[in-house]
Amino acid sequence: MNSKGILTLQFGHYSNFIGTHWWNIQEQGFDYTSHSEIDHDVLYREGVTNKHGVTFTPRLLLVDLKGSLKHLPERGELYDEPPKPTKSDVNWDSDLVEIEGVSGNNKNQFLKDLENPEESHKVLTKTYDLEKDVTVWSDFLYSRFHPRTVTVINEYQHENEHTPFDAFPLGKDLWNSSSFEDDFSNKIRSYVEECDYFQGFHLLSDCTDAFSGLSAGCMEHLEDDYCRKSILAFPVVPSFFPDSKFETKEQQCHAIINESVRVLNLALSFNAFNAHSSLFVPLCMGSKGWRQPGPKNEFNHTVYDSELAYHSSAILAAALDTFTLKHRLKSSSFSLVDLCADLSHNGRKAAAASLCMPFSFNVDANLLECLDNWEGPLTKSITPNCTIGSDRLMQYVILRGIREDRLKQQADRAEKQRNLPAYKCDSITEMLSLYLSYSTHATINNVTVVRKPLDVKTPFPRIFDEFIGQAGYVGATPRPGHINVESVPVMAGLHSGSGVGDMLESLYTEARRIKYPRFHQFINAGIDKDEYEACLESLLTLRENYMDNYYI
Amino acid sequence: MAISLLNPKAEVARAAQALAINISAAKGIQDVMKSNLGPKGTVKMLVSGAGDIKITKDGNVLLHEMQIQHPTASLIARASTAQDDSTGDGTTSTVLVIGELLKQADIYIAEGLHPRILAEGFDQARTKALEVLDKIKIPVEINKENLTDVCRTSLRTKVHQKLADLLTDVCVDAVLALKQGDKPIDLHMIELMEMQHKTETDTSLIRGNISTKIIIANAGLVLDHGSRHPDMPKSLRNCYILTCNVSLEYEKSEVNSGFFYKTAEEREKMVVAEREFIDQRVRKIIALKKSLCDGKDKTFVVINQKGIDPISLDMLAKEGIMALRRAKRRNMERLALACGGDAVNSFDDLSESCLGYAGHVYEHVLGENKYTFVEECKVPQSVTILMKGPNKHTLIQIKDAIRDGLRAINNTIEDKALIPGAGAFEVTANKELLKFKDTVKGKVRLGIAAYAEALLGIPKTLAVNSGFDVQDTIVKLQEESRLSPDPIGLDLTSGEPIVPKDLGIFDNYIVKKQIINSCTIIASNLLLVDEIMRAGMSSLKG
Ligand SMILES: Nc1ncnc2c1ncn2[C@@H]1O[C@H](COP(=O)(O)OP(=O)(O)OP(=O)(O)O)[C@@H](O)[C@H]1O
Ligand SMILES: [Mg+2]
Repeated sequence: MNSKGILTLQFGHYSNFIGTHWWNIQEQGFDYTSHSEIDHDVLYREGVTNKHGVTFTPRLLLVDLKGSLKHLPERGELYDEPPKPTKSDVNWDSDLVEIEGVSGNNKNQFLKDLENPEESHKVLTKTYDLEKDVTVWSDFLYSRFHPRTVTVINEYQHENEHTPFDAFPLGKDLWNSSSFEDDFSNKIRSYVEECDYFQGFHLLSDCTDAFSGLSAGCMEHLEDDYCRKSILAFPVVPSFFPDSKFETKEQQCHAIINESVRVLNLALSFNAFNAHSSLFVPLCMGSKGWRQPGPKNEFNHTVYDSELAYHSSAILAAALDTFTLKHRLKSSSFSLVDLCADLSHNGRKAAAASLCMPFSFNVDANLLECLDNWEGPLTKSITPNCTIGSDRLMQYVILRGIREDRLKQQADRAEKQRNLPAYKCDSITEMLSLYLSYSTHATINNVTVVRKPLDVKTPFPRIFDEFIGQAGYVGATPRPGHINVESVPVMAGLHSGSGVGDMLESLYTEARRIKYPRFHQFINAGIDKDEYEACLESLLTLRENYMDNYYI
Repeated sequence: MAISLLNPKAEVARAAQALAINISAAKGIQDVMKSNLGPKGTVKMLVSGAGDIKITKDGNVLLHEMQIQHPTASLIARASTAQDDSTGDGTTSTVLVIGELLKQADIYIAEGLHPRILAEGFDQARTKALEVLDKIKIPVEINKENLTDVCRTSLRTKVHQKLADLLTDVCVDAVLALKQGDKPIDLHMIELMEMQHKTETDTSLIRGNISTKIIIANAGLVLDHGSRHPDMPKSLRNCYILTCNVSLEYEKSEVNSGFFYKTAEEREKMVVAEREFIDQRVRKIIALKKSLCDGKDKTFVVINQKGIDPISLDMLAKEGIMALRRAKRRNMERLALACGGDAVNSFDDLSESCLGYAGHVYEHVLGENKYTFVEECKVPQSVTILMKGPNKHTLIQIKDAIRDGLRAINNTIEDKALIPGAGAFEVTANKELLKFKDTVKGKVRLGIAAYAEALLGIPKTLAVNSGFDVQDTIVKLQEESRLSPDPIGLDLTSGEPIVPKDLGIFDNYIVKKQIINSCTIIASNLLLVDEIMRAGMSSLKG
């Protein structure tokens, strides 16, 4: 365990959707040889079961509500066989023991195949109807978890409208209820204790419901107990809420109230992220995010249904896997604290993320040609309400899946290319840096290039159009129907600049418009009007950190 | 466990309907729960769709396992949770009494009585019932015998007798070990540690009692981690214990990170300086260890709340020091209590007086888990209860039971009093309420009669669960109660009246008090749904 470990925390159902894709992606791409550029030990841990089996599982803690796991046992299946309900285990007169409920086995085909030793190695290349079969994230979970990973909140039920877990203070209270904090902080401690060189935390949290409050409570704890470790946080907003499809007047009323509740949660949680994280990067596949997710973010050659969490979360996972690469590489001593320090300079705790997936690259092209013909920005924002722009930025850009031998035309066939200044570049890093320096103004660009493309085999959704080939490059002719895309090149970035300030201002403006005193569930739970006002003020203060015009 | 009864329409039902729904919902939950009450109740083994198993007899847990899709049900569930949070007991009774109150109310309302009058009667009855409770409460001395009685009563409603009695001893001993004069007990100082272990016969860790499956040890302290260096000693005797909260790992800070830090050279300098800073701390520990232990029959253990990195571990290992990192915050307090010494936050004034002592510190490995036992402590004011069992769900069941036992003991210490159990309070209160009813004028007395009858729900259910005829039993109890100066309860083996006090069957005062209060309030709220609905509307407008 000589690695600079990171502990990942996932709070809430949508975060867990994203996380599930993220772990799936990593596990399809595992490369245990010494050639691997990626140090898997950063996000994974090695363990042994009581029966001396070696395990390699995500260094992960996730939280969800009761009833959201469906077929997944809380403690996974890796360390314990599923227990059998035996009356004699009960320490009670067996005549007075009632067994209730049975473990149903109506798993979807993907999960059935995964269980079956004869099929399990084939699932990555098989086709399933996951768009229909997936209702919760465990429906497409390929990874296997450590028994410690899953924490279920028993106090609230998944999708139960009578006991909604919908307001920031509910989550905060839950954290403060001693049993939750005790158990959860002990699990954190157990993971951190194992690591020799612990870097810090990746934290994904739903921030439109009460999970925002839960993660806020958790971050306070992390700050207290692990004060010099970094917390890179990703507040996430789903790209679809079923309440937006109302039919009756009453439903419409409900939808409007729910929207306001979401904005309140967002405001309160952004305030908490600002106070307790090292850096936070809001993510949403809808371009607006606040009251409603708004029109979805589109990418060339990608067709997806933003109403499916299964789809939109896959794209966010691809982005996460890509823009966190730099501090997960074997070759570099760059670490989470460096990333957070750079991007949160001047108190700019919030940053934006962007993505280009697939990175449009013709089958027979080279990077120089590709960039030369590129129109518009290289990546698109996946941070809600945020235009990243090209002026006065601090940014990290990561490109994966383009090989060095695709840099430029060879000298004897280079023709016009030779006249381009970029032809002098000898590496992808160099060329991309040059391109960025031309296309941005007063910006610090940090480029990372990784050979390994993103693996998108099943259970990653089939969201690429027919012009994307098996290896993810753009072809002139459609891909034959029986062939699936297996990997794609991806570009992703993390950015700090004035656009982020505008995002904060737009949230502030939305939150300001809400008549807070009407929202009893917040006030009764202890966040009075003054506290809410103070929260809005601190958003404004944070926003001001992005205002100076002489950044560098 | 879906209850078809509890399936509401989303629209707000009209008042009369709402009341009917409330009553049927409360009755529905009560029906599901009543078989669980008391030492002859049923235990449920709940199996989830994924095969997870939960064993419980606890009203509150069961209520939360149900797919509650009904606002009435969630109101009752909240009452039972509140009961659980504040006292740790009485949740099944809460649900039963609410159900009984509404059942009784239903009869009177059908005859035309206004819910408001009933609620008024309930409230007067509540005041009276609290008086009765205060009258029959038995002030007790806080000694082993009394604590054992109440703890045993509670645990025998959770696990079978043999195990209950074993756990009772463990709980009472644990609390008494911590108890100092009149100071309140901090139950957090009792750590419950589970060890999941397949082989039931491994007795290498036992200190004391053995049951068939669950092995319990009252060690001084057990930590759920061990040292992280291959060359560190795994077992030491005669140990100085240094507990500290001081980082012994090199950590990059934001100050010397990232692009904005000036040059690579300057950064490198920072790194070296920081490393040296950490090394100095480690050397201070080593110096102290050398001065105290070298040449003597003494050893040295460091237990740190912060991290210790491989370089520091290596330095310590070379000196034969055992070092643990990332200890639980609460264990720092516990260690100080168990071993003496103080947890230090800096090494500036490190000296022998900061250190604690333990006779034996050793590591035990189970799969990927390590445990460190700190034993033969100077002052055992901190206790770990170690549970070993073959599977997680039984371990959790035992853990829940132990928690209940500890709460029962703690309630007793705070109340300095007990209530005779086995239905004695309910039978007595029923008798007194019926007398009181005769002194009240008007229809309100009907509410009091209803309340008196509802309380009998507890002894009735105890009787049913033990297989006795309800009417016979109640008649016998009431007759005996009229004659006896002592409160009368039900013997669940014979079905005959007994004096629970003589048999050591006790409940907590605070638990009963809370049941009376919360049941009355919730039942009244459910009855007055009509008015509450209207009030709710108007508060929305305002
Ligand atoms: N040995 C006994 N004989 C008769 N009655 C008993 C005995 N032990 C306990 N009881 C009675 O059983 C009742 C408690 O049962 P139980 O503990 O199952 O339910 P509860 O306390 O209402 O709820 P919870 O599930 O929260 O513990 C009390 O009324 C108590 O007096
Ligand atoms: Mg009880």
